[in-house]
Amino acid sequence: METFTFDYPADQKATARAHVGVVGSGDLEVLLEPSPDQTAHVRINTSVDGYGQVWKNVLDRFFTRFRKAVRIEINDFGATPGMVALRLEQAVEESRQ
Amino acid sequence: MTAAVTDLDRLLSRKSFIELSARERTKALLDAGTWRELLGPFDRLHSPWLEMQDIVPQEDDGVVVARGLIDGQPAVVAGIESAFQGGSMGEIAGMKIAAALDLARQDHERGIPTRPVLLLETGGVRLQEANLGLAVIAEIHAAIIALRPHVPVVGIIAGLVGCFGGMSLAAALCSHLIVTPQARLGMNGPEVIEQEAGIAELDASDKRLIWSLIGGEQRAAVGLVDQLVEDDADAIAEAVRAAFRAGQPDSYRSQQIPQFLARLVAIDPALVTDGPALRALWGKGEQA
Amino acid sequence: MVQSLDTGTAPRSWNKRGQDKARRLAAVAPWLSGKVLPSSRIVEALEVLVHSGDRVALEGNNQKQADFLSRSLAEVDARKIHDLHLLISSISRREHLTLFEKGIARKVDFAFAGPQSLRVAQLLEDRKLEIGAIYTYVELYARMFVDLTPNIALVCAEKADAQGNLYTGPNTEDTPTIVEATAFRQGIVIAQVNELTDELPRVDIPGSWIDLVVVADRPFAIEPLFTRDPRIINELQILMGMMVIRGIYERHGVTSLNHGIGFDTAAIELLLPTYGASLGLKGKICRNWTLNPHPTLIPAIESGWVESVHCFGSEVGMEDYIRARPDVFFTGHDGSLRSNRVLCQLAGQYGVDLFIGSTLQMDPDGNSSTVTMGRLAGFGGAPNMGHDPKGRRHSTPAWLSLITADSEVVRGRKLVVQLAETYQKGGEPVIVESLDAVQVGKNANMPVAPVMIYGDDVSHVVTEEGIAYLFKADGIEERRAAIAAVAGATPVGLKANPRKTEDLRQRGIVAYPEDMGVRRGDAKRSLLAARSIEELSAWSGGLYQPPARFRTW
Repeated sequence: METFTFDYPADQKATARAHVGVVGSGDLEVLLEPSPDQTAHVRINTSVDGYGQVWKNVLDRFFTRFRKAVRIEINDFGATPGMVALRLEQAVEESRQ
Repeated sequence: MTAAVTDLDRLLSRKSFIELSARERTKALLDAGTWRELLGPFDRLHSPWLEMQDIVPQEDDGVVVARGLIDGQPAVVAGIESAFQGGSMGEIAGMKIAAALDLARQDHERGIPTRPVLLLETGGVRLQEANLGLAVIAEIHAAIIALRPHVPVVGIIAGLVGCFGGMSLAAALCSHLIVTPQARLGMNGPEVIEQEAGIAELDASDKRLIWSLIGGEQRAAVGLVDQLVEDDADAIAEAVRAAFRAGQPDSYRSQQIPQFLARLVAIDPALVTDGPALRALWGKGEQA
Repeated sequence: MVQSLDTGTAPRSWNKRGQDKARRLAAVAPWLSGKVLPSSRIVEALEVLVHSGDRVALEGNNQKQADFLSRSLAEVDARKIHDLHLLISSISRREHLTLFEKGIARKVDFAFAGPQSLRVAQLLEDRKLEIGAIYTYVELYARMFVDLTPNIALVCAEKADAQGNLYTGPNTEDTPTIVEATAFRQGIVIAQVNELTDELPRVDIPGSWIDLVVVADRPFAIEPLFTRDPRIINELQILMGMMVIRGIYERHGVTSLNHGIGFDTAAIELLLPTYGASLGLKGKICRNWTLNPHPTLIPAIESGWVESVHCFGSEVGMEDYIRARPDVFFTGHDGSLRSNRVLCQLAGQYGVDLFIGSTLQMDPDGNSSTVTMGRLAGFGGAPNMGHDPKGRRHSTPAWLSLITADSEVVRGRKLVVQLAETYQKGGEPVIVESLDAVQVGKNANMPVAPVMIYGDDVSHVVTEEGIAYLFKADGIEERRAAIAAVAGATPVGLKANPRKTEDLRQRGIVAYPEDMGVRRGDAKRSLLAARSIEELSAWSGGLYQPPARFRTW
């Protein structure tokens, strides 16, 4: 197991929270909620070691399109980057509802 | 031979219960618009033991407890998420279920007729939490027995993980146990039996054999569960409502000790070696 | 100079092959009753009928296997029979390689070695096995009619009668082709059968093409290789399926097609009756198919999408369903499926608008391969369909829709679509700087790298990020930019230039889900017409009987 944290600049306020996914094989759980400050914070617990750069790549891409001040916590059980990106999109979509 | 249009619509609109996550399953059983979760993922009540063993936790520890109404009456549904650690019972997961049952009992003692439902998709105790998991499973057993004189405790095993180990005893203690054909119910899982007794004793990869021994249809045919319902969320929700309308059973399975002892005595291990043979011996009433 | 005709030497024989065959058969004649050899004599008979150095075609593809004959061949005395040259489409059974370990066989020409690919590589290194060449299925059979004509064919069928007529049944597959190449050039054809019977359901291969029939010790091995359990289809595969239906099938009006056997193409099959219907596409796309009877096609068939299906082989459990749908499948007068691998490959090559399949690796130019380090897996049949056949002359709207040149003389193009999630499970990127196949090819001294589908044949690449319409790209730089634009967080994808990507989206060379009206949030499993094997069985009205390993009830 490995834990990473990343911060991204934000320029919009978040209001709602959302939870998607499950910590099952090839999947992950995403908890998205408003951040207390003007920055987006991401914390990742992953079962697969050694993929810090790939996580950074996936999140860098996500935060080029998403600018809200959120706190995201991810519990990952070996999801592919594609699945991570999809769950992040779903969390954003759910937080809008 | 082409299926009629109505059949196609039915096939397309069928809502599989097995497909749903534990959270969605609890929603599917409660009256529309009444669902609210207790101790959800944002409360971050996860297992303190898994991270110490290098295992990623889940923020709800794999159990969803939801309150709401069933048929207009107050209800609590505790659902195990089988995708997380095989639905195994750790300290937090098990305690959430035991506490939900205990609070339901307290409700009844205060005149609130809370209806309890358990979704039992579990391999049993979580090995990483060992004794704490076993202890909390015992608390679940005690809580079911304390609650069931007040109100039927309804258990559901939908599949595909099945219900095994100490939690199979919890299933057996329920006042009314509902299964789908995809469910399995047993003390030891097939893989454990194969590992301990050898492949000659049981080939765990032979799915047809496994389901013929411990699958939902077989368990219903020999009277070890109360009701077989197809894998359809609406049908299962209706079965739950009907179980509460029907009220208390005449007696609990766990009290029918002489009857079950007699059934065991009737088995000749040399002759009763497969599912159909047990059905012939134990099957209640006429076979379909 | 013409040789003198009166030199006194014996006249040249023009039937040496026939005479040789007659001598060999005469040696086993005392054991035969009609054409039937007692099963207990098979090893002895092979030791007489097969000669060292012979080319032996052993029937074995990814589905059915003449396993009684291959096991028996592995038991012959290697001092008597050695250095055989094996022609086999799929090296899939242990004993296929035992033949090399014992020295019974030395050389092999094959198309696929999936399950045994590690051992093939090892035997090659140990110099116990020589590879003639690695083929696609159709190529291997083609050479059986040119310079690799078999001396012996070992084939399998379900039933035979005393005259040697064969019933190959739903899994006819390669048998007629191998038998034809052997029988008509005076080779010896030996067929293993599950049973002898007086009356065959139908004759798939006439008895005059068959020399010997032997009853196998157990029915021939067959694998349910084309069954994809819908429970395992994930939301990304559904998202990609929605993009394919919207951005390719609808856009190009694809009416005839071949699907690979991945979970992503299974997702497409299961999305037609739901998502496809919601787009009003029923009857407009996906009418005529060349593919095996995938169980995941049942809902599309039942809801009236599918006019016809021609098959390479059959699929275990689909027999009764096929029998009940003769308007859709090719069936004999007995009601059972007639499959034929070579003809289906031909149909898939020249007759259909589109091939779509998954790949394990793709390079920045769109070349793709399923070869990975340490494994010599071969090609199977994918490249036969996964290319643009330049000999095609008939037009369809889909074929014409790929014309980009503005000239009096132009040709259309087959749609060759490669599907790839940008990363595999386990964290390996699928889109890579260089294919493993390049190194594998060097290690095995292959003249060219074993590429499955060449980039210049690929018209579309689909990932979970979007679609690259490669046929529209102008030049190699733009192709690379289009692939990079859908390569996600892979090293190749990170090189994409955002401004170039924006330009490609504007010009319709790259499309993201939002560009084609596909909502990521809609990619849910509830959109699949069936989410489990039991639901497929329910769709079939109970006619589809899944093999035990797929049953969860």
